[in-house]
Amino acid sequence: MMTAAEIWLTIAGLTAVTIVTRNVFLVLGHRVTLPERVQHALRYAPACALVALIAPELLLTPGTFVVDLVNPKLAASIATIAILLLTRRAVLAIVAGMLAFTLLRLL
Amino acid sequence: MSKSIPSPRNLLSLEPVRRAAFVAGLRRGTPLLIPTAIWGLVAGVAMVKTGLTTLQALAMTLFVYAGSAQMAVLPLIAAGAPVWIALLTATIVNLRFVIFSATLWPYFGHLSLARRLLLGFFAVDMTVAIFVAHQDSAAEPLSPGMRWFYLGIAVATWVTWQSSSIAGILLAGLVPARWGLEFAAILALIVMTAPMFQGRPAIAGCIAAGTVAVLAAALPLKLGLVLAVIAGVAVAMATDLVTEQRAGEPR
Repeated sequence: MMTAAEIWLTIAGLTAVTIVTRNVFLVLGHRVTLPERVQHALRYAPACALVALIAPELLLTPGTFVVDLVNPKLAASIATIAILLLTRRAVLAIVAGMLAFTLLRLL
Repeated sequence: MSKSIPSPRNLLSLEPVRRAAFVAGLRRGTPLLIPTAIWGLVAGVAMVKTGLTTLQALAMTLFVYAGSAQMAVLPLIAAGAPVWIALLTATIVNLRFVIFSATLWPYFGHLSLARRLLLGFFAVDMTVAIFVAHQDSAAEPLSPGMRWFYLGIAVATWVTWQSSSIAGILLAGLVPARWGLEFAAILALIVMTAPMFQGRPAIAGCIAAGTVAVLAAALPLKLGLVLAVIAGVAVAMATDLVTEQRAGEPR
C-alpha cells in the first residue's frame, strides 16, 4: 500500500494528467492541422475506446492474459445486449445481466 | 428551437436558444445516466475497498473525474507501486482523451481559451460520444447553441457521476465483495456503448479496437488501450474509404 503522502501525490498528479490530456488539442489545436479524413475518422474514437476498455474484461481470464471464450461474464454480457435490443431498457438489461452472471457463477 | 442565427443587434434573443440547447443536452444525456451512475457507484466503492480514506476517495473523484484512470491506478496504490508508475499508467489510459480533444477541436476551436478549458474539463467518454453522435446526425451541426448542448450533456454526466461516486464512497462498507459489483460497471459500459454500433466504419473500428485491446492486454502500463484506439480509428477510416459513396451522408 502506498503511504498517505504518496496517495495525495498520486491524486494531484492524476488531476494534472487528466486536465492536460483532455485539453491538449483544445489548447494547441491551431498549431496542428489534421487531414480532413483523419478528423472525420476521429468520430469513431469514443466508441473504439469504450470497446477497448470492455473487451479485455470479458474475453480474458481474470488476472491472466489467456483468452477465454466460455465464461460467465461474456455470457452475461450477451444476455444484457440481447435484452437491451429487445426492450431498449438499459436498467432492465443491466439487472438481467447481473442475475445471469450470478446464476452462471453459482452453477 | 429557432433556426435563425440572431443578429448582433438582438443578442438577447440568443438566450432562449442557449437555454433550449442546454435542456436538449440534458435530455440527450438522460438515457445514459443510470449506467453512468452504476459505473460511478462501483468506482466509489472500489476506491474505499482499495484502502483510500474517505477524504482521499472524495478528493480523487472530485478532482480527477476520470473513472478508468482511477480504476487503473487503484491496484497500483494497493501494491505500493512508485507514484511515477501510477501516473504513467494513468497518462496512457488517458491518452484517448488527447484523441477526444482533437475530435472536439473542429467544434470548439474558435472559442476563447477559458471556454475551451471549461469544455475540455468535462470531456469524458460519454459526453464526447453523445455530443459527436448528435453532431454527426444533426441537419445543421454547427449551430450557435452547440456548446450549450454539449454543456447540458456534460453537466448531466458530471452531477450523476459525482453523486453516485460519493454514494459509493460512503456506502462501501455495506457492499460484500462476493456480489461481484464491479461487473455491473462493465455491464453499464456495455449498455452505454451498444447504441454506438451503427454503420460499417463504427462496427469495423470497434471490432478492431476490441481485438487489439485483448491481444495487447499483456503490454505494461495499459499501453494496449492506446494501441487499440489507434487501430480502431485507423480501421474505421479505412472502412470509410471503402464505402466512399456514403461519405457526407451520416450513418
